[in-house]
Amino acid sequence: MPTLRDVVLAASAALLALLAAAAGAQSQAQSQQRSLAQAPAPAAGELVVFAAASLQNAFAEVGRLHAAAGGTPLRFSFASSGVLARQIEQGAPAAIFASADEQWMDYLQRRQLVATGSRKSLLVNRLVLVVPADNVASVTIGPGFDFAALLGKDGRWVTGDPSNVPVGRYAQEALTRLGAWTAAKPRLVRAENVRVALAFVERGEAAAGIVYETDAAVSKKVRIAGVFPPDSHAPVSYPVAAMAKHDTPAARAFLHFLDSEQAREVFRKYGFTVR
Amino acid sequence: MLTAAELDALRLSLQVALVAVACSLPAAVAAAWLLARCDFPGKSLLDAVIHLPLVLPPVVIGFFLLLLFGTKGPLGGWLYEHLGIRLIFTRWGAALAAAVMAFPLMVRAIRLALEAVDRGLEAAARTLGASRLDVFCSITLPLMLPGILSGCIVAFAAALGDFGATITFVGNVQGETQTLSLAIYSLTQTPDGDAAALRLVLISLAVAIAALVVSEALARRVRLFIGRA
Repeated sequence: MPTLRDVVLAASAALLALLAAAAGAQSQAQSQQRSLAQAPAPAAGELVVFAAASLQNAFAEVGRLHAAAGGTPLRFSFASSGVLARQIEQGAPAAIFASADEQWMDYLQRRQLVATGSRKSLLVNRLVLVVPADNVASVTIGPGFDFAALLGKDGRWVTGDPSNVPVGRYAQEALTRLGAWTAAKPRLVRAENVRVALAFVERGEAAAGIVYETDAAVSKKVRIAGVFPPDSHAPVSYPVAAMAKHDTPAARAFLHFLDSEQAREVFRKYGFTVR
Repeated sequence: MLTAAELDALRLSLQVALVAVACSLPAAVAAAWLLARCDFPGKSLLDAVIHLPLVLPPVVIGFFLLLLFGTKGPLGGWLYEHLGIRLIFTRWGAALAAAVMAFPLMVRAIRLALEAVDRGLEAAARTLGASRLDVFCSITLPLMLPGILSGCIVAFAAALGDFGATITFVGNVQGETQTLSLAIYSLTQTPDGDAAALRLVLISLAVAIAALVVSEALARRVRLFIGRA
């Protein structure tokens, strides 16, 4: 019979082990987000920019143009807008934040983390349904469209986690308005961000995915099977702002550069609509 | 008391961990036997490969599994075409990922127990006329049992807590691959999800304590059985 002492010892050991495991899982999860919160402090004169995963290609190019034009060198961190916002809330040293939906910027604004007067809605994107490139199906997306038919008997579809990733939120909203959410939800694979979702479709593991038009454009291994009507979801708007704790002239200069004709050309090239 | 999603995550975690341990047990005993009792060219290579999941980042293991067992991969494609079995996005894939991560821990514990078995007892049994299989089943295996048990518990705990390999290989599918670790991860990303995440952490704690208490009780029984109480 285990004595009381044995049970107490076992419970304390379990508690310690579990706390260690929980801390380990948390830090493992965070290190997988290419986070700058645990990275060494940015070099003097370097501007830290946190941007949504879908802005990866466009912002990297704008960054190069910015440096070539004599601007401060930039250090980027691309991840799901939600992940970045939570890191900024915890003190990550971002000077600029570009989110894929207004909600995550509102989240930071409510916590007084956005520099006053710096917030601006920069870009607009479109939501599309993609399939692996060898699938030639095409679908007109409208009320009551048959999503299940596209997936087949046991196929799954993928998008960002609707609980916190912007593309997932737009996808859930659109599918709910079109009456396809209840049938689609059990077959959903939740990805950490839109690029991970895109990768699943590229590999042919997921039968379909909901991503932004600009993501489908940079991938040769997927094709667009349908476009979501703009009235089925809130506009895919990208607000960008300087962060209150790192509001420097260099940050404001970069924000200004994002408005320049050079930067606008790059965004249009990747398929964004510039406001 | 528990929401449907929380129950799903708990049930799934237990199922995945139990399947992972049960399926890798025979392989772990075989591997431990090979490493403890046999000598052959390539033995240290086998030792290294078995211990890879301990030293490689879990995401790398998940990625290897994806390449091998994905629907377009060499093993995954074969399984799908000939047996209709798909591992990606399913609980069986999650069990495979957890099993691979826990395997080296199980092998180490069982190997230790095997090396501690008195070869003299085995030799005595042989002189009394027992076949090799008989010796294994009636002498070696019972003496190894405490080690096998501790290996299973460690592997169960590792399988229960696996995150990187699972999310990379089988993704985050609620009700199918969203174990407690993945559910906690999702909740910590959600605005105001911290309270719900804490609930899941407490559930994990309860499971861990229960597993330890059960294992302690079982270990005592086993020790009585083999006469070392």
